[in-house]
Amino acid sequence: MLVLAGLALAQPKVFKGTEPGRAGGAYRITSISDPRTWNPFVARETSSTDIISLFLPYLTTYDPYTQAPEGRLAKSWEVRNNGLTVIFRLREGARWSDGQAIDADDVVFSATVHADQRVNSNSRSSFILDGQPIRWTKVDQYTVRADFPKPYAPALIQGWYIVPEHVFGPAYRAGVQQLQALWNLDTPPAQVVSGGPFKLDSYVKGERVVLVRNPNYWGVDERNNPVAYLERYTVQIVPDLNAQLARFLAGEADTFAAANADQVAQVLERIRSNRLRAEIFPNVDVTLGTNFIVFNWNHKDAFKENLFRQVKFRRAMAHLMDKKSMIEVALGGLGQPQWSPISIPNKAFFTDDVAKFEFNPQRATQLLAELGFRSKNRDGWLVNAQGKVLEFNLVTNQGNNVRERIAQIFRDEARKIGVKVEYRPIDFNELVRQLTSPAADGTRDFDAILIGLTGGIEPAFSRNVWELNGSLHAWNLGTGGKNPAKVEAFEVLIDTLMKRGATTLDQAQRRQIYVQFQKVVAENLPLIYTVAPAYNPARLTRLGGMFPKEQINSITGQAPYIETIFAKE
Amino acid sequence: MFGYVVRRLLQLIPTFFGATLLAFLVIQLAPGDFVTRLELDPTQDRESIANLRQQLGLDQPLPVQYAKWLSGILQGYLGLSLSYKTDVWNVIGQRILNSMVLVVLATLMIYLIAIPIGVYSAIRKYTWPDRTFTVLAFLGLAIPNFFFGLIMLFLAVWLSDLTNMRLLPIGGMTDEFLHLGNMTRAAQVLFPFALAGTLVYAGLFWWRNRQGQAPSFGVWVGLILFGASSLLMLAPLLQGPGLPARLPYSESPLWARATNVLWHAFPVVIVVGTSGLAGLMRVMRGQMLDVLSQDYIRTARAKGLNERVVIYKHALRNAVIPFIAGIGGLLPGLIGGAGLVEVTMAWPGITPALLEAISAIDIYVIMGLITITTVLLMIGNVVSDLLLAWVDPRIRYS
Repeated sequence: MLVLAGLALAQPKVFKGTEPGRAGGAYRITSISDPRTWNPFVARETSSTDIISLFLPYLTTYDPYTQAPEGRLAKSWEVRNNGLTVIFRLREGARWSDGQAIDADDVVFSATVHADQRVNSNSRSSFILDGQPIRWTKVDQYTVRADFPKPYAPALIQGWYIVPEHVFGPAYRAGVQQLQALWNLDTPPAQVVSGGPFKLDSYVKGERVVLVRNPNYWGVDERNNPVAYLERYTVQIVPDLNAQLARFLAGEADTFAAANADQVAQVLERIRSNRLRAEIFPNVDVTLGTNFIVFNWNHKDAFKENLFRQVKFRRAMAHLMDKKSMIEVALGGLGQPQWSPISIPNKAFFTDDVAKFEFNPQRATQLLAELGFRSKNRDGWLVNAQGKVLEFNLVTNQGNNVRERIAQIFRDEARKIGVKVEYRPIDFNELVRQLTSPAADGTRDFDAILIGLTGGIEPAFSRNVWELNGSLHAWNLGTGGKNPAKVEAFEVLIDTLMKRGATTLDQAQRRQIYVQFQKVVAENLPLIYTVAPAYNPARLTRLGGMFPKEQINSITGQAPYIETIFAKE
Repeated sequence: MFGYVVRRLLQLIPTFFGATLLAFLVIQLAPGDFVTRLELDPTQDRESIANLRQQLGLDQPLPVQYAKWLSGILQGYLGLSLSYKTDVWNVIGQRILNSMVLVVLATLMIYLIAIPIGVYSAIRKYTWPDRTFTVLAFLGLAIPNFFFGLIMLFLAVWLSDLTNMRLLPIGGMTDEFLHLGNMTRAAQVLFPFALAGTLVYAGLFWWRNRQGQAPSFGVWVGLILFGASSLLMLAPLLQGPGLPARLPYSESPLWARATNVLWHAFPVVIVVGTSGLAGLMRVMRGQMLDVLSQDYIRTARAKGLNERVVIYKHALRNAVIPFIAGIGGLLPGLIGGAGLVEVTMAWPGITPALLEAISAIDIYVIMGLITITTVLLMIGNVVSDLLLAWVDPRIRYS
């Protein structure tokens, strides 16, 4: 009888914590800005999605211990048809906070809305593969089938949010406008239905978001106790980083990510003088963000275009990157040099075994001489046989101190050997325009830009940067993001690798593909990578269920699951 | 007079159109729009970015966008915030109120302290108290508010280390939980100040009565202000037991919420107040010196009038005229917020929202604020002109 009841109740997801926990307690974090919406189809910024992910479920994500795909609402899945079809089985008995069942209808409905062009969801690219839609169909109440136009590897890491059909369905049928108006910040929190570990309790604009435990959540720990353990989850909105630090130092926030060495020192000092019971892990990992220099291969000036297309030139520039000084000066001593496009924390795909054009001004001079820049003019700048000076402008976005300092260090080293680099910070939007909007003839009007892109855990998600027809093929961008006029052999190779990586399902094969991809990029340097800022997490010792130092990484953070964090006091 | 007011109000209409159009153009002159930042996101494709632009109406020509916005304004609708997808008023309304708490308190503090000190400094110029005030004034002007705010935050952390009590708040406007013993923490901290203030003003009241003088305006204001606040602080004592020791903010009684906000406002108001205080104090001193050297003051003194009457009845009344003219400027200042200190001290006022809107190019939030400020500035100017006419016998509108 008991067994039957258990079966009828639910097939809960087991969350494996780092230590046995206990129920109760509160978790308090700070956020730099307000959420914008509770509606996952409208949300476009992490300040919203970080909170939405606490109360809306998703099918699958990655395992925080191994970074392999792991089921959430999906109990299991089966890949058929050479990867063209994936059958997801959902947890039977999972319920929304209002008591309704979470089933295939919700999943298929959510997929339909995310894919709807009129809705323009931020997750829409997860539903279109090379222009063709992925078809989601209901098999039975707890089985969903996804049909892909071709095999698609990231299919198993579907980070899109599933919404209750009984809430969103009527609005969707009444029109897209109605759907987008649902669950905005003025919606009473009680009306926001939860299918995740927490549910919204209250929101005060500019102050705090409070979530409380969702009693209907379908998660348990290894001893079959319900999770999340935490009773309350508070996000305090503190728009200033120093004020966030002050809050952590006063013990009013449970976690903090120190941005620089100075903040690390302040936390350390306080811990050492026994005024704060906390731990800090300086430089335990680097963040996912990257910083690189990209040269314009679609230049109006034929001389510059030709120069920037020379791999010897780019290698010479790479040899001028004094990454040690960049880490010392720009990052305050905490950080790591980066040589290739995949973010260092992305252990599943990252390789360190790539070509490294280390800081070496003599080698740079030599390479430039091979390109014809052998002598210096009266002002001390390198010139070629025709007397043309080796010069270019370098811009980065104003206000990003790290990038501004990296650019200055590069400029100074280049000038030392006679390369005239004019560095100037400009407005971010102007920079985006220069980078992404070619004129009608396909030319763009910049020389070199220092910029960064946020790397994710899934390399296939950055296809727009690496494929020839990608809209962010930054160094050699075709008009409208399609078909650049002249392409190099290595670009074609990268394009092929990216396409294969996205359509190969075998994890080991995928790793090999992306390792080769990193090697090709590091060899040819279409983007010249600089340094990655450190991840310096800190936390109060009152928290349990956190990762020990060796397991902390900037992708997952300080704990494997929010569900298994608990308060020791 | 009536004709003058009507004329002034009619002039507001073209001014309003001109000002908003100019603001709209300036915002649009900046490169990029609300959607631009998405273009550097590798997971976004061109098509959905274009879709979004179209949905938000950003692809339409500027005159069309302005006309649409204007037609909304004329119906009292400030437009739709691009990032919050809701009426602009919902985004800024509460924040304006939050900012007002600071601005009103800071303005009160400035006027209550700056005018007496200014007068004192002018009467006793070049004495050591005057010099001390001068030095303090320049210090107050020299320290940037946001920096002073940071110092306050770390002072708060330091004080709580020192005393093991949370004497000052670490930023924010309210606490998530209020601790309602017999008194809130706010009351514990503020009550001695309020009580001391009440006693001082009550003493003055009593002293002036004994001397047979009517209590001055300042004494009345001080007495009422401090008396009311010490009564407010006493409220928890009257409440008695029956309340749990700890309650979420939203479920707490009004007095507890009010004192909690006041407690959080205390350091912020000091930060905001000091710079304004310093400026006003110097202006008041200059005004007073200017007036005191006028012929009619000399005449008054020559006639043998009491020095007190000369200063307070004749000189002060003329010296404060420029401040009355400035009251119009206070009105838009009320919703303009207290500036960067709101960001550093995490006060959910209008400045953080405005900065966010500017960096995201959320045009309608920016425009909404500019519109309200413009209207208030215009109304404020009319009001201060009328006030001037009332105070200054040399001005007549007819």
